Amino acid sequence: MADVEAARRALEEALGPEEVLSDPLALRLYARDGSMVEGGCALVAFARSTEDVVACVRIAAAHGLPVVPRGSGTGLAGGSTPIGDALVVVTSKMTRILEVRPEDRLAWVEPGLPNLDLANALRPYGFTYAPDPSSQQTCSIGGNVNTNAGGPHCLAYGVTSNHILALDVVLPDGSIHRLGSEGPEAAGYDLRGVVVGSEGTLGVVARVCVRLVPLPPAIRTMLLDFEAVEDCAETVSAILAAGVVPAAVEMMDHGIVVAAEDFAHAGYPTDAAAILIVEVDGTPAAVAAQALAVEEAARANRVRHVRVAADEEERALLWKGRKSAFGAVAQIAPHYHLHDCTVPRTRLAEILTGVYAIARRYDLVVTNVFHAGDGNLHPLLSFDRRIPGTLERVLAASDEIVRLCIGAGGALSGEHGIGLEKRDFMPLVFTEEDLGAQACVRRAFDPEGRMNPQKVLPSGARCGDFAMARGQEAAAAAADLPEGAWI
Amino acid sequence: MDLIHPHTVTDVVEAVRAANAEGRRLLVVGGRRHIDKGNPCVVEAELWTTQLDRVVAYDPAEMVAVVEAGMRLGELRRMLAEGRQEWPVDAPDDATVGGVIAAAPSSPRRLKVGAVRDTVLEAEVVTGDGRLIRSGARTVKQVTGYQIHKLVTGSLGTLGVIVQVALKVRPLPEASRTLRFDGGLELATRILGAVPAAAGVLVTPDGVALRLEGWRAEVDEQEATARAVAEPIEAMDDAPFPASRPWEERPVVVESAVPPSRVGSLEAGNAWGALAGVGILWAGLEGPEELAALRSSAREAGGIAPVVQGPGGLGDELPPAPEVQRRLKEAFDPNGVLAPGRGWGGL
Repeated sequence: MADVEAARRALEEALGPEEVLSDPLALRLYARDGSMVEGGCALVAFARSTEDVVACVRIAAAHGLPVVPRGSGTGLAGGSTPIGDALVVVTSKMTRILEVRPEDRLAWVEPGLPNLDLANALRPYGFTYAPDPSSQQTCSIGGNVNTNAGGPHCLAYGVTSNHILALDVVLPDGSIHRLGSEGPEAAGYDLRGVVVGSEGTLGVVARVCVRLVPLPPAIRTMLLDFEAVEDCAETVSAILAAGVVPAAVEMMDHGIVVAAEDFAHAGYPTDAAAILIVEVDGTPAAVAAQALAVEEAARANRVRHVRVAADEEERALLWKGRKSAFGAVAQIAPHYHLHDCTVPRTRLAEILTGVYAIARRYDLVVTNVFHAGDGNLHPLLSFDRRIPGTLERVLAASDEIVRLCIGAGGALSGEHGIGLEKRDFMPLVFTEEDLGAQACVRRAFDPEGRMNPQKVLPSGARCGDFAMARGQEAAAAAADLPEGAWI
Repeated sequence: MDLIHPHTVTDVVEAVRAANAEGRRLLVVGGRRHIDKGNPCVVEAELWTTQLDRVVAYDPAEMVAVVEAGMRLGELRRMLAEGRQEWPVDAPDDATVGGVIAAAPSSPRRLKVGAVRDTVLEAEVVTGDGRLIRSGARTVKQVTGYQIHKLVTGSLGTLGVIVQVALKVRPLPEASRTLRFDGGLELATRILGAVPAAAGVLVTPDGVALRLEGWRAEVDEQEATARAVAEPIEAMDDAPFPASRPWEERPVVVESAVPPSRVGSLEAGNAWGALAGVGILWAGLEGPEELAALRSSAREAGGIAPVVQGPGGLGDELPPAPEVQRRLKEAFDPNGVLAPGRGWGGL
C-alpha cells in the first residue's frame, strides 16, 4: 500500500520542500498532459539533478508509489498523464547544456532542456539537433526521447532515435546506467534503442547525449499550391520517386490553410485545395538540383504556383504558418483531437479521401496538416466538448480513422506515442504474442511494474507466457482505464 | 554438426521448438560473412536462413523494402538498383540481410548513411523459445510499443532468428568521387571541417581518402571546397570505397568504436583505417598480444574493440545494465538454445 505522507516527507527532505507539491490545485494541474486524458496523482516532485531523480525513484519505490516521468507535459497521447497514487517526477527544471563537443559531434544535455534551445545553442558551432517537433519551443529533449519524437525535418534526417547516442537512465530500482555510448557502437543489446520511444515506462532519463548534425550551407523553402488534394498527394510520391529526399515535405489542406493564414499572415493561398511546404538543403548545387526535381514533380501533377522563399524572413514566415497550425485551429472550435497514424506515402490521397468521408458522416470539421513525406497524418477534429454528445462523436470518428490507416498498412503512431489514448488499439496491429514479447522487454527493465503503469501495453499483454517468474504476473496485470480517469 | 535448412518461417518455428524440446543448441547462420563476430560458443546444430529469400514488398516511392532475412545482399542490391535505391550497408554480395542486421557492421560511408540500426523499421523474429513475433512497422517512422527490432539488431543471433525485415532504403547517389591526399588524422580533421557532409573521410597509414556522394554538381562543389584545404594526389569517379582494405589481410580484424576525437589514441598496429568524425577504426592484427593492446587503448578511450574476422571474440566489456541484458536474454531464449555465450557479457 502506498504511503503518500511518508513519501512526501522523504521527498521534501531530499529535494527541499519547495520542490514537492501536494496541494489539490497542483495535483489537478499535473493530472494531465497535452492529451485528452485526465488522471490523478498523489505527489509532484521537481528534480534539479540526476541525484534528485535517483532520490525520487528510490523514495517512490520505498513507499509503494508508481513513478510517472514528465518533461514539459506537451505529450499528445497521455504518456505522462498519471494514474492513481503516482509520484510525478518533473524534469522541466533540468535545462542545462552540460557539454558541447563538436570534435566528437555530440552534446550532453539535461532532459528538461527545450528542443529549440538546444538547436539554437548548437548553431554557433555550425551544428544543429535535427528532430524539430512543432512544439519545439516548449517540448523537452527528455520528452522527445521518450516519444521518439519526429517533426518536419525527420524526412531527411531521421527520427529522434537516430540522434541519440547515449542516455543516463535511472531504472525503477534507483540504479543509474549509461545506455549506448559516446562512440558509434556500444557493447551489449541496444538498450538505448529500446528506451527511446518507451514513453517513460522503462526508467527516468536523467541525461541525454545527442548527435550533432552539420548545418546545411544552403536551404530553399518552397510553397506549392494545388487545386486538387489528389494532385498534392501524388506530388509527394513523385518527388521521392525522383530520388529526392527533401529535408521536409509538409502538407496542409484547405481548412488548415485558411485557419493558419488568418493567424500567421504567411501569404498562404486560401483558395487552394491543398498546399505543400517543401524544404531542400545541402550545398548550393545540391539545393538547386533538388529544387528543380521538386518543381518538375509538382508541374507533372498540375501545381498552380511555386513560391520560393526569397530570404530567411520569408522562409520563417512560411514555417510560422505550418508550426502554429495547431494553435490556429482554435479559431474553428475550442477543442481538437488528433491521431498521428503513419501510412504508406503512396496511399495518402486515398486515405485523405477516407478521412474526409468519416468526418462528414459524424458531422465534424476535419483539417489536415501533416508530415506528408513520412506519410505521417495528423487529422485534426475540431469540436466543442461542452456540447453534449460531441466528444462521443469525435472519439467514434477517431476510432474509424485509426482503423482506416491500419487497414492501409499504417502504424498507430508516427511520433506522438501510444500512452493511454492509443493503448487499446495495440491489438489492432500486434498479435498476443507480439504484445507478450513487448511485455517481456518492459519486465526486463521494470520487474515490479513501478514505472508509468498502464501505459502503452493493453491489459492482458503480459510476459507470463514467456519464461519469467509466474509470481510477477499479478503485479503486471494492467487494469482497464481506471476509475476517475476520463477522456 | 547438424544442419537445419528451413524453407519457410513455419519451418524455423518448428526447428527452434524442436531444439528447445531436445535441448539442442543452435547457431543461426546466414552468408557466414559475419560469423566470426561473437564470443566462442558450443552448439549442436546450425540453422541456415538462406532459403528464406523472398521479396515481400518493394515500391521505390515508399523507400521501404520488405524482404526475408536470408536474402543475399547481391540480389537485394540488384533489385533496389532498378528503383535507383540502395540499402546503405557494407558487406559482400553473398552476405545475407539477416546476417548484416545481427552483426551490425559499420559502413565506411557511415558519416552520411548512418548506422544499420537506423535502417531496420520492422522485424519478424522467431524467439529462442519458438514464438514468431513482429515489432515496428513498414513506415519510416513509428512509435508503437517497444522496439524489439532495435534489440535484435547487433544481437548476434542470441535473442531470436530474424526471419523478415522492413528496411529503410535511400536513393543511389547520382555521382560519387574519391579524392586521395597525402597526410594523416590532422589533415582528415581539417578536410572534415571544410566538407562536414562528406560520405566518408578515411585515414590509413598511406594517407587520407575523402568520399563525396550526391548530385553531380554537389560533388563538384564539395571537391572544390576540399581542394582549398589540400591538393589531392588522385581523384576517381565511381570507384569502390575504400579502394583497398589492407587490414582485412591480417589474421585478426577488429572494428573498434570510440568517440570520434579519440581514434588517434588507439594502438592499431600498422594496417588500419579510421573514419574521421565517426569513431570507427578497423585494424588488422597478427594475434592476441596486439589485440590486447588495442582493446586496452579502446577501453581507455571509452570504446570497444570486437573482433569481426578471426579469433578473439568481443572483449571483456560488461554491457551496461547487465541485469537488464540478462533478463532480456532469459525472456527471449529461456532455455539458452541460441548460441549461448556468444553475445556481450557471455549472454
